[in-house]
Amino acid sequence: MNILKLFLLLALSVNITFAKPYVEEKLLNKITQKYKVFAKKRFFYLQKSLDSVKQGSELEKLEAVNNFYNGVSYASDMKVYRKKDYWATPWEFLGKDRGDCEDYVISKYFALIYLGIDSKKLFFTYVRSTKFKSAHMVLTYFETPRSEPLILDNNNRKIFPASQRKDLTPIYNFNGESLYKASKRGSGKKVKSKKAHKKWDQLKLNMKRKKI
Amino acid sequence: MGSTQAQHEKEKNMTLFKQIAIMLTLFLLLILGTVLVLNFNSANESAQERLYEDAKNTAGSLSLSLGSANGDIAMMSTMINANFDSGTYSYISLVDVDDKILYERVAESELIDTPKWFLNLVDISAPLASANVSAGWNQVGILNVQSDVTYAYTQLYTILKQLLLSFSVIAIMALISLYLVLSAILKPLKKVQHQAEAVGRNKFIIQEKIPYTKEFKDVVVGMNKMVAKVQAMFDKGNEELKRHKEREYIDADTGLKNRKYLIDKLPEYLKVDASSKGGVNIMIAFSGVIEANEKIGHKDVDTLFQNIADIFKTYSKNYENSIVSRMNGTEFSILLPDCSDEDGLSIAHNIYESSSKSIEHAGLDKEQTFISLGLYEYNYTQNIGQLLSLSDNALTQAKFSDSNIHLDKSESATEVMGKDAWRKIINSALEKSSFKFVSWTAVDAKKKRVAHNALSLTLKTGDGTEYFYGQFMAPANQAGLSSKIYQNVMHMMFTHPDKKLKSSTCSIRLSFEYLNMSETYDELSELFREHARELPFKLIIEMPDKLVRSNSKGVKLYKKLFETYNIETGVYEFIGESADYQYLRNLRPVYIKGESSYFLTQSDQSLSALRLITDTVGISLIATGVMDLETLHKLQERDIHTIQGRATEMITLL
Repeated sequence: MNILKLFLLLALSVNITFAKPYVEEKLLNKITQKYKVFAKKRFFYLQKSLDSVKQGSELEKLEAVNNFYNGVSYASDMKVYRKKDYWATPWEFLGKDRGDCEDYVISKYFALIYLGIDSKKLFFTYVRSTKFKSAHMVLTYFETPRSEPLILDNNNRKIFPASQRKDLTPIYNFNGESLYKASKRGSGKKVKSKKAHKKWDQLKLNMKRKKI
Repeated sequence: MGSTQAQHEKEKNMTLFKQIAIMLTLFLLLILGTVLVLNFNSANESAQERLYEDAKNTAGSLSLSLGSANGDIAMMSTMINANFDSGTYSYISLVDVDDKILYERVAESELIDTPKWFLNLVDISAPLASANVSAGWNQVGILNVQSDVTYAYTQLYTILKQLLLSFSVIAIMALISLYLVLSAILKPLKKVQHQAEAVGRNKFIIQEKIPYTKEFKDVVVGMNKMVAKVQAMFDKGNEELKRHKEREYIDADTGLKNRKYLIDKLPEYLKVDASSKGGVNIMIAFSGVIEANEKIGHKDVDTLFQNIADIFKTYSKNYENSIVSRMNGTEFSILLPDCSDEDGLSIAHNIYESSSKSIEHAGLDKEQTFISLGLYEYNYTQNIGQLLSLSDNALTQAKFSDSNIHLDKSESATEVMGKDAWRKIINSALEKSSFKFVSWTAVDAKKKRVAHNALSLTLKTGDGTEYFYGQFMAPANQAGLSSKIYQNVMHMMFTHPDKKLKSSTCSIRLSFEYLNMSETYDELSELFREHARELPFKLIIEMPDKLVRSNSKGVKLYKKLFETYNIETGVYEFIGESADYQYLRNLRPVYIKGESSYFLTQSDQSLSALRLITDTVGISLIATGVMDLETLHKLQERDIHTIQGRATEMITLL
């Protein structure tokens, strides 16, 4: 019995030590080449933050990811990408170290997915900021489908339950992965949804192409 | 005969033009077909894309609206119904966060405007568009929307029809362009092909325009050289034959024709369907030539002979087809077709008077040196031997006559029927078309095979009496009805061809008079145009050498007409008396028919020169009137193997 425990412990430690990094080395080299050495450092600290909560609770993971990314400076898409609206990949966001609300949401989302959070629990939520009187996007975390969501926002850096965010009016929840899984059931042939959301689809494509 | 097979081969073998055209057409159609399919698929994809976009827009906007219902199912169902009942969607469902269907609408499409085959052929599946539905911060579920494909099918069917129409137009235009371009590119090849085909038909064309393409150029230059060589051979044979003809048929001293010419020519005058039923032959003998030679010398006597020959020519020139020939050193013959005995006597007297004056003028005594004229009134039923011996008899009588002129008349052929009776029978036969074809064979004695069937005619009267060609053609000639008979039988041949002759080769001999009639060409053209293609046998139309050697425009027109309908040409009554044999090259008959006596009496040089000409242009020689095997053997010794006449019945065919 002791031998089995020892074996499991060993296996776990090996898993931790040699776990797949959030950003693979090859891609990291490219990011370094493009965004210079400071960018590499940022990714290093990101990995360190993620590793620190790898074994933690979901709340700890949320805190770590939210805190890390809220450290990135806000800049409009027009300033950074010379486009009115652009959904940047996590590599672009951290590489440039700037981005708008969608970019925070995207990067937080993928980091949490990396940390093992079920994609069903995470939603991109279009909200209206009553404080800034503008359209905004936050990442919402639903522990269960019917529970009150937690809000990961780049304006208010702390995580609060939705009920405490009176400054935000929810408009629309969006989860690309759930839409991919949606299908027509019942009689006749099964028809799957090919696409989910234009911006989401483009982002997924950029991710696949390792756009930096 | 051989050309039929060649024609067949030609039809069987596909031309390069056809091969390239088929290949490029297939290629073109393949490309167009592929582009059409790709275009259609792209239209299909874009239709599906649009169906998705429509569904996506609705899913997006409806999901936002549903959010305002704060999770009230009744309210959400109503909103979904309102959208669904517009008819644009085939499926809308709302699934909650536990993946349970909260509300669902499904429609069955009715595709009325689109044919069933199209529905079976084309698969349009409208993609499902989904959107999250939330109420405030809370999730409600997922909304799924699928567009109705009816409109897409109708639209795609219209697109397919338009594509097919435009691609058909493009295909037709492309094929026309392809044809024009190919024609232009392969034009030199077409010319090479024409040249090669012409060689096959023994027609030799020199291509003046040398093609630019190297391969074509080499072929054309090579063919031109070959054609030039063949032409040179033909010209050599022609020259040689002309030289021999002069030697063989012309008397060198007087420039008159000689005895051989008369004998070779006489069969044309002594035959049932001769254009002249008879006339007068005057045999003239010179007496006292030895004395004249002694008195004025050979040279002056030769001059005297020439002067008298001119007198003969002068008095005979009014008679068409007359022959003036020198039979030997002192004897002459003047054949005057269609000349009455009175006119003959008058001409004889005039010749005697004029000759006597010439004799006197030459310083000779007309009592010692004189001419005697024996006139013999011949008719077509006689043979050459009879004509000459009876003319000789008349000359003998003349020599003993005081006037030195004597006329003998042939015993008129005993006519079984009078002219009027014949006229009646022939007219009746023409009306009732009661002529029938009988065929004789021309046999290749070497191969022991039938070369072709020579068609002749019989006439059957109402009472069952049958007359042969030899019986009714002479009275028909006299009654001026022979051409009408030819008109009648040619019409019969083409409108009611003898089925027994199917797939064989047959020849029909058309007379000089019939072919020379102005309306014959038009009549034959009309007849061929309507019926020639249905003729079950291969036809060779024989034309008399007398007509074809004129190389006239009319003969060329006939040749062209016959060629158009794949009818071959043959020549009959050939004795090679033309001054030039180019007409044989132009006419390119399949054979030349001549009397067996003609071929047998030709000198070796003449015959080999004739052979050179005929072999160059692929003409075979056929001897007619071969009555026995002995004659056949003599002909075969002279390399003439195809014969017509009684001897054909003595050959055992294979």
